[in-house]
Amino acid sequence: MSGGTSIRDRLYEQPGPRTRRRVAAFTVVALIGLGILIYLIVRQFAEQGQLEVRYWDFFLKWSTWRFLLTGLLSTLRAALTAAVIAIALGFVMMRGKLQRNPVPRWIAVAAIEFTRGVPTLLLIYFFFLVLPRMGVNIGAFWRITLPCAISASGIIAEAFRAGVNAVPKGQTEAALSLGMSPLLTFYRVVFPQAIRFVIPSLIAELVIVLKDTTFAYVVSYADLMQKAKVLITSHDSLVSVYLVVAVIYILINYALNKLSDRMARRMNRTVAPAKVL
Amino acid sequence: MSIQTASDVPMIELKNVNKHFGSLHVLKDISLSVKKGEVVVIIGPSGSGKSTLCRTINRLETIDSGEIWFDGAKLPEEGRELANLRSQIGMVFQSFNLFAHMSVLDNMTLAPTSVRRVPKAEARAEAMRLLERVGVGDQAHKVPAELSGGQQQRAAIARALAMHPKAMLFDEPTSALDPEMIGEVLNVMTELAREGMTMVIVTHEMNFARRVSDRVIFMDGGSIVEENTPEAFFSHPRTRRAADFLQSIQK
Ligand SMILES: Nc1ncnc2c1ncn2[C@@H]1O[C@H](COP(=O)(O)OP(=O)(O)O)[C@@H](O)[C@H]1O
Ligand SMILES: [Mg+2]
Repeated sequence: MSGGTSIRDRLYEQPGPRTRRRVAAFTVVALIGLGILIYLIVRQFAEQGQLEVRYWDFFLKWSTWRFLLTGLLSTLRAALTAAVIAIALGFVMMRGKLQRNPVPRWIAVAAIEFTRGVPTLLLIYFFFLVLPRMGVNIGAFWRITLPCAISASGIIAEAFRAGVNAVPKGQTEAALSLGMSPLLTFYRVVFPQAIRFVIPSLIAELVIVLKDTTFAYVVSYADLMQKAKVLITSHDSLVSVYLVVAVIYILINYALNKLSDRMARRMNRTVAPAKVL
Repeated sequence: MSIQTASDVPMIELKNVNKHFGSLHVLKDISLSVKKGEVVVIIGPSGSGKSTLCRTINRLETIDSGEIWFDGAKLPEEGRELANLRSQIGMVFQSFNLFAHMSVLDNMTLAPTSVRRVPKAEARAEAMRLLERVGVGDQAHKVPAELSGGQQQRAAIARALAMHPKAMLFDEPTSALDPEMIGEVLNVMTELAREGMTMVIVTHEMNFARRVSDRVIFMDGGSIVEENTPEAFFSHPRTRRAADFLQSIQK
């Protein structure tokens, strides 16, 4: 298998001329459909008066953007922190699940199933409502960050485990036969190879974490979404603000997905996969 | 009765070893002794338990009953002692198993530096010497996937040698190779044998086996069916099953 191909390239064969024509025709139809849809939405907005200048002119002011950008920074800070914690937790859970000793394995399995099963919002309410009653008081930042991290950790643990299992068994056997300990084998031989399978799903998970942080309004953490709500109230302009904020979220997540593709491709190139026999 | 000296102690000794995979009895009461410096070739049809036998010697496979001794000590079951023992037994696999994410040179130095604490520079110098010796010195800075199969297998042999093993196990080292690359690997192995390395080799290369081995073990259905000198085994085997097998592989 050659190095530079993505999964997508491997799944689909090169299109022939007829397929290409069909794809082109479909693209034209889809674009026309999309155009009509946008036209209808804009017309609807215009009829409802949503396109009036007063709903949009405050976006010409720097102060509006500065207000939104501080919210965006808070969002990114929370998402990044949550992601780092989730990856750390996920790694520990994965190590637990791969132990031969049943005690850590069972704890890890329970933790993974729990965190995968419970809705993020429920965890947020737990940190927001239940923990304070129990006398645990943490700031708004952690009340959004920790639930988001916990919620993502189980899925990340499973992604790590899938990556580890995808590394050919012979790699482990070769390391052990050289006298390397199981721990050394894991950290120097298996995990470095597993990580390249894992990076794309890790970034996909980061996107979900970022989206989960929009629950921050529950705990009154001043993230992008919270700032948007303030703007909506002060300018009485629901549609325009939501549109702009949605575009910001989409752009960030699009960038993350692009990054994931690029990294997956780069990894495939530099560490050519072990020859499969 | 003479006092046993160190050189009388067998390098590898299996006593009544049994092994099951579920209900499958893969190794049936295997007893085998390999002297220091001896080259033993294991021959037999596919599925007869050759790989499993090979892999029990460094405990990549555990055994159900019996004993395995290496250089006068019983095989440890786990932990540091097991790792230490494995570091004294080189193993070469059919699928090479070079570490795919690092250069050939790093493949060579990983175990010596991390297990034996050999200083990096020293390990690299030794690695280059060994790579030159097996003829892949110019490939040191490439990753394994950039090498041909024959080059990978020679590098894998060099990697095992970097731990200065007392014995080497080879499990069909040339079976995954294109025909034109088999010779280069067998040459390296022949030279090792000539230098006095203790070797256990599972192979289907009959000419090589005949030329290099001191003893041939024929396995079938999990048992050792015949043990013989290479001359006798290949010209007039004692057992019917060995004769049939030799017949079947001569096209
Ligand atoms: N890990 C395993 N689990 C179950 N059965 C196995 C395993 N490894 C080998 N076997 C079986 O044990 C028998 C002997 O295998 P092996 O030692 O690889 O034979 P050989 O190397 O002589 O071809 C075969 O029937 C094989 O299918
Ligand atoms: Mg085999």
